[in-house]
Amino acid sequence: MHKHGMKSWVVPCAVLGSVGAKWAVGLSSYSGQGTPPMYGDYEAQRHWMELTIHLPVREWYKYDLQYWGLDYPPLTAYVSWLCGVVGSWINPAWFALDASRGIESEGSKVYMRTTVLILDTLVYLPALLLFVRAWHANRSFRTQETALLTLLLQPALLVVDFGHFQYNSVMLGLTLLALNCFATGRDLLGAFFFVLSLGFKQMALYYAPAIGSYLLGKCLYLGSVHGPRHFVNLAVVTGLTTLVLFLPFLPPLAPLAAILDPITRIFPFNRGLFEDKVANFWCASDVLIKWRRRLGPKALVRLATALTVLGFLPGAAGLLYSGWRLNPQPVTVDSMKGDKDTGDVRKAAVREPAPIMALLPYALLTSSMSFFLFSFQVHEKTILLPLMPLTLLLSGAGEGSETREVGALASNVAMFSMWPLLQRDGLGVPYVALTVLWNRLLGYNPFRIPSKSYLQYLALGVHSTCVLLHILEALFTPPARYPDLFPVLNVLVSTPVFGLVWLWSVRRGVEAGWALGGLGSKSASTPKPAKIEVNGYDDAATASNKQSIGREAGARAISLGYAQGRRRHGHRNDSISSVLSGVN
Amino acid sequence: MPKLSLWRSVIHLEPAEWDILIVSTCLKLLLFPAYRSTDFEVHRNWLSITHSLPISKWYYDTTSEWTLDYPPFFAYFEKLMSIPAYFIDPRIVDLNNLNYAAWSVVAYQRTTVILTELVLGAAVLRFIRGATDPTTQRIISASLFLHPGFLIIDHIHFQYNGFMFGILLWSILMARNDNKLASGFLFAVLLNFKHIYMYLAPAYFIYLLRSFCLSPSGALLPARFIALANAVILVFLVSLGPFLLMGQLPQLLSRLFPFTRGLNHAYWAPNAWALVTAADRVLLKCKSALGSLAVNSSGVASTSRGLVGDTVFAVIPNVKPIHTFIITIAFQAIYLVKLWRTPTYKSFLTALTLCGYTSFMFGWHVHEKAILLVLVPLSLLAAENHAYFRTFLLASVAGIFSLFPLLFTAPETLIKVIYSVTWAIFIFIPLHRRVYEFPRSLPFVIIDGLEKLYLAGFILLQAFVTFFPVATRQSSASLEFLPLMLTSVYCSVGLVWAFLRLSVLYLRG
Repeated sequence: MHKHGMKSWVVPCAVLGSVGAKWAVGLSSYSGQGTPPMYGDYEAQRHWMELTIHLPVREWYKYDLQYWGLDYPPLTAYVSWLCGVVGSWINPAWFALDASRGIESEGSKVYMRTTVLILDTLVYLPALLLFVRAWHANRSFRTQETALLTLLLQPALLVVDFGHFQYNSVMLGLTLLALNCFATGRDLLGAFFFVLSLGFKQMALYYAPAIGSYLLGKCLYLGSVHGPRHFVNLAVVTGLTTLVLFLPFLPPLAPLAAILDPITRIFPFNRGLFEDKVANFWCASDVLIKWRRRLGPKALVRLATALTVLGFLPGAAGLLYSGWRLNPQPVTVDSMKGDKDTGDVRKAAVREPAPIMALLPYALLTSSMSFFLFSFQVHEKTILLPLMPLTLLLSGAGEGSETREVGALASNVAMFSMWPLLQRDGLGVPYVALTVLWNRLLGYNPFRIPSKSYLQYLALGVHSTCVLLHILEALFTPPARYPDLFPVLNVLVSTPVFGLVWLWSVRRGVEAGWALGGLGSKSASTPKPAKIEVNGYDDAATASNKQSIGREAGARAISLGYAQGRRRHGHRNDSISSVLSGVN
Repeated sequence: MPKLSLWRSVIHLEPAEWDILIVSTCLKLLLFPAYRSTDFEVHRNWLSITHSLPISKWYYDTTSEWTLDYPPFFAYFEKLMSIPAYFIDPRIVDLNNLNYAAWSVVAYQRTTVILTELVLGAAVLRFIRGATDPTTQRIISASLFLHPGFLIIDHIHFQYNGFMFGILLWSILMARNDNKLASGFLFAVLLNFKHIYMYLAPAYFIYLLRSFCLSPSGALLPARFIALANAVILVFLVSLGPFLLMGQLPQLLSRLFPFTRGLNHAYWAPNAWALVTAADRVLLKCKSALGSLAVNSSGVASTSRGLVGDTVFAVIPNVKPIHTFIITIAFQAIYLVKLWRTPTYKSFLTALTLCGYTSFMFGWHVHEKAILLVLVPLSLLAAENHAYFRTFLLASVAGIFSLFPLLFTAPETLIKVIYSVTWAIFIFIPLHRRVYEFPRSLPFVIIDGLEKLYLAGFILLQAFVTFFPVATRQSSASLEFLPLMLTSVYCSVGLVWAFLRLSVLYLRG
């Protein structure tokens, strides 16, 4: 493309092409199509649009709970309401109360698919574009474009959102917007976006330990004066946003007890340990240890919670510890005298990303993968959450790097782990097409002869097993004694890979933390030299035109955080930049 | 060329070529569940006819209304495909299982389209090898393999054009490589797959006669002539022979050439007649406003619907098949004289395009899908110079847009628009950079501006076509066909203009 002078067209074409691909996936059937009386996730989302436009807000979380009662946080409800209002304006029959249950007209399907596409384009797409500009700012255009394509066409997200039918990209997009804000030093806006993400789908909680730790770590990094102040600001923004989201369920608009309706619906601890077959620790080990026979439901909840906390602890602790460790020496009376503008520098640092930013993607992966593997009531689709930070890391990884190997393997296995679900939904062809397409765009061939590392042998082995299982499943029906033979084998193949990814993310997190300044004592230098850099970039950003602001801000995000780190620990700068880009 | 190296050059693909193949195949796979026209059932029915009936009954069967009306090679081709179909799902080839639409038959038939289209892929790849400018040819080859026309007609609407245009391109490639005997042979094969390619036959006839059978001085070369004649006769014998022996030729021909249709197809193909019909509508409006009585009353009823059946003009004298035939032959004769005088490959290519173009412009009951007969050979000329490129641009945009009404369902609308726009960006921009010339005089500047204005108008037209039905949900049904009519007329303006451009370029060049 570059050869033919089409440089400026690559991004528009990539975006256009991805929109086309997403829509093409939507031509297929959706979850629960033609399966009365309950249908599937598609009907759930449609039903929420139906009930929100016809009922008063306080009834939303109470109406006929047996038939797809609303069990997502309020932002989903508000968005459903908006979709429902617009849809009813086009054709009231699509969302007639009760009468429209299980409606399967062509027009209604097109409308529902359109809402996913529009929300995806409004939230997730800008988040990705900003991400590529902000995080890969100092990489070549070609790398940025490949990264964008890798992210745009992530097959697991496409097949779940546009095939199976869900709005995960909104939740992921809001989280990603939050990350972009953190990377450009706009923590308050970032916190706002993350609360929105949580308010859209409670699954975003999987990221909460990492994001909370980053913000807290930054407060530690900022020191005793600006740290607490920043903390209070963040708390106020977070609290206010949550308050506004739940406003209709709070006094004076509703009695205090009303808030319990959404809360009990959103966090259902009365369901089982896991549903169907899901490639996590509980389901996989259940083959050997019949957990539910050995332990009561309460003990299981406790055990699951404990394991989950243990699982995300390394990532969260790494962020907090590094933040504390990188905090320059407390501003003493002496230094105040000698160094007048130190206070200003610290103040400016509030508006910069903290150097621990480099740890954040790994911590997000550790935390969300830990939730996926160990927490209570996980669905197979939830693998999308760990996949997001992994794809972010993968997007900038160089050819043949470890990150790339792990990322591509995990993404393909994630697709594979959803196969039983996709097969039920009639999404076999998109499953194959999207996986092949994405691997090709990535330039990844799972079946090439391994040359470098044990990881490549592992990838070859896993991919071959997946293909073999598909072939066996196509050729043989499982024996009557084990009707779930293939789903169980699927779980047994997928879970170890996800476990390895979790371990890998812990390891990389530790490495990245080490690269930021060793595990030794606290740093003693001042961040003064960075100040010059800051100003330089700020001026450039204000002076340049609109388009380059994004780039400059991005350059800031990377160059700043890491320039500071580099200045302090010059001898490690190679590993610092490679930590972020994943080239190793 | 030894067979082995030929195969190696076909199979050996460069990474960028693999990219195109894999990415486009994945997209086509995603289109499996897309809308399909009755042509899908037509082809399924042919699978079952050729599978369940003896050859003697193929052209007599009327179990389904979609009787076999393609030449015998296509019937053999269907017979071949019906064998795996039977093993995949015997219900596919059950003659009485009309309108069978299970996932097995959809996946199978869609897969055969993708696989047979590889003939096209192989042909355009071979065009790159040995081209004078491989980089430009690579863009043109990609444009042909990824042509939105094939995506719309083959992979959504459902037909096998990719396969058959693949044969046409092989034949043209053979002409380029100076292997004219093979070229003529392949064209004869193609004619026996689908007889619509007869539109192109005059150019082939003149070219092969002049440059292959006659020496430059004009003397007949008997050995070559006999070789070519034998090859062509052999092909027709293999194809028609069995039916000739069974005495079924008249029946076969009556199936192939049903002379019972009207001037325009249901939706007017964007050709000269669309403009004439539109002019008739306008004149009718004027006349009725003036209160004149000289109006053909059956014509008023006919074209106000603008639809199926015979088109009867209200004001303008009616057109009969013989008229369209004479006009077509007359125009073609002009180009063929030029071809006779300059029987080079490039000249042949242009004459071939113009032959197809003339038939499309003035033919009787032309179908909008026939525009591919123009666009495919024209693509090979796209990078000759800026004038040719501009002609290609105008014809492609108008021609592809004129195919949009084939897919009238909402989900496919976004696909066809996005795909065509992406294709246009990928093809037109690099080609444009390669051949750009600044308009040299004032008339050219004006023409250039008008053409750009015309192209920009397609955005408005698409917006109108999309939102008009939504805006007029409740109003009268008489406006229902306005978007179709407007599309047809607007596209025909561009196509007629591109036709004139190409004619002038050829005759002056």
